[in-house]
Amino acid sequence: MNTATGIIKALNSGIKHLAIKRFTLRYPEEKLKFVGDGYQFDPSTGVGIAGYKGRHMLFHDHCTGCQLCSIACEGVAEAIAMVKVPNEWKQNKKAIMPQIDYGKCVFCGLCVDACPFYALYMTNDYELSSFSKEGLIYTPAQLQVKPFVSQDSEIKITSRGATHG
Amino acid sequence: MNTELPPGLALQKVDERIMTLNVGPQHPGSGHMRIIVQIDGDFIVACDPDPGYVHRGEEKMAEYRNYITNIPHLERPVIHDSCNILYPYVLGVEELLGIEVPERAKYIRVIAAELNRCVYTMYWLAIYGIFLGHSTMFMWPAGDRELLIDLLEKMTGARVTHAHFVPGGVRNDLPPNFEDVCLRQVNYFEKRIKEYAAIFYDNPILIARTANTGVLSREDAIRLGTTGSVLRASGVDYDIRKKEPYDVYEELDFQTNVLKEGDSYARSKIPWLDMLESCRIIRHALQKMPKSGSVRVKLKPNPKGGDASVYKRVESGRGSLGCYIVSDKKPEPYRVKLSVPSFRNLIALPYLLKGEKLGNMPSVYWSLNYWPVEADR
Repeated sequence: MNTATGIIKALNSGIKHLAIKRFTLRYPEEKLKFVGDGYQFDPSTGVGIAGYKGRHMLFHDHCTGCQLCSIACEGVAEAIAMVKVPNEWKQNKKAIMPQIDYGKCVFCGLCVDACPFYALYMTNDYELSSFSKEGLIYTPAQLQVKPFVSQDSEIKITSRGATHG
Repeated sequence: MNTELPPGLALQKVDERIMTLNVGPQHPGSGHMRIIVQIDGDFIVACDPDPGYVHRGEEKMAEYRNYITNIPHLERPVIHDSCNILYPYVLGVEELLGIEVPERAKYIRVIAAELNRCVYTMYWLAIYGIFLGHSTMFMWPAGDRELLIDLLEKMTGARVTHAHFVPGGVRNDLPPNFEDVCLRQVNYFEKRIKEYAAIFYDNPILIARTANTGVLSREDAIRLGTTGSVLRASGVDYDIRKKEPYDVYEELDFQTNVLKEGDSYARSKIPWLDMLESCRIIRHALQKMPKSGSVRVKLKPNPKGGDASVYKRVESGRGSLGCYIVSDKKPEPYRVKLSVPSFRNLIALPYLLKGEKLGNMPSVYWSLNYWPVEADR
């Protein structure tokens, strides 16, 4: 192949893209769709359930304050601290529950794997930015709230190329 | 009085014609590393790569953590190829603990590793393009990479640093309907990367800049101990997936790509050919994968290895990646040594750059498929 045809072919393959749809995701107007409600773990089978590893969610009525999540995090990020909660549950006499510092968390999900009582899961919430370091520390009361996550776009492949539609 | 200065402080006699130039260690020039280049006019006389700016002590950190909590930090050196850097560690721990991995988990691992190889190679290709001044080749791979990142996100729950492989299988099963989505996006991805031939690999401007620069002969490639795409671009057919098949690679249908030229163009083309091969592997693995079954063996908490050592290696996006684990009957490994392909390929750089023009330095340096953070560990 000589030089002229090579350059024309290269230009041509670029020009074709004028007719192809734009692939870019327009964040934050558009948001990605995830599978499921976030990463979960079933201790009876020892296998996780596929989902996005985002902010955690803590079920106060299941948590026993056993500290296994905190121990699992020790070698990874040391993001989980056990703190006192005001009201006492019948399965949680010590009244301690995990508090997670998202300035340290690496979202590996090993704490979810460690929980044997179906109390700690992960959710699809990934927009956790804050103006202060204190704002990144989520107390047990904040972790209890189920996040509202808008998900609308996923990759669609058509004859005119792939888009986020 | 004997005034002998320590090495490095003594003044050296400098030839007036020779100029010393530091490329890096700022990130935009060379990645997190410095190349000390001595030039005579426009030609490189000597070159001394100076890695080590992002050393994190991964190997030492591994001695204080147990076999499971080692997983998130061991994948940090190559976040874009995180499944492949965990692969030898996980295979090694499985041999130490004597675990038999379920068949379905092996296929899921192969699919994740091949997707990750493509993600890494696309990122590398984007950098290679922009360093040659081809900004379209930066935009296209960076965009098309999203197709595979999306698949990995569905599979593992994270876009990079998946922490998906564990001793005994994988963390979670595939989401429902994953096979169809994977097949559709991988087919489209393959169609897209075939389009790169016209704009990049068959482009006469790229060929003029990279062909016959930094030629590494077959003998030198073997003697310097290079690996992966650098070795295969010099005409040596050596791929760990073929030579020492791990998991289910021997049951899958694929071939290794070898080019004979050994120049910077061949070294940049091999990863692209590998990506096309990866698409074939993924399709074949999806076909052969058992449709249901267990994906993870339940381990005891804090598993302990015997008094043994194990060495495992895999073919990563850059070449052979090995992991040597010594265990001494404790929950923590006694020693974890990573043998990384980036460092082994960097050794070839001073030999390749001698006598080249300074303008050819980016094309030769990035064609080595070098990832500075991985080399420093």
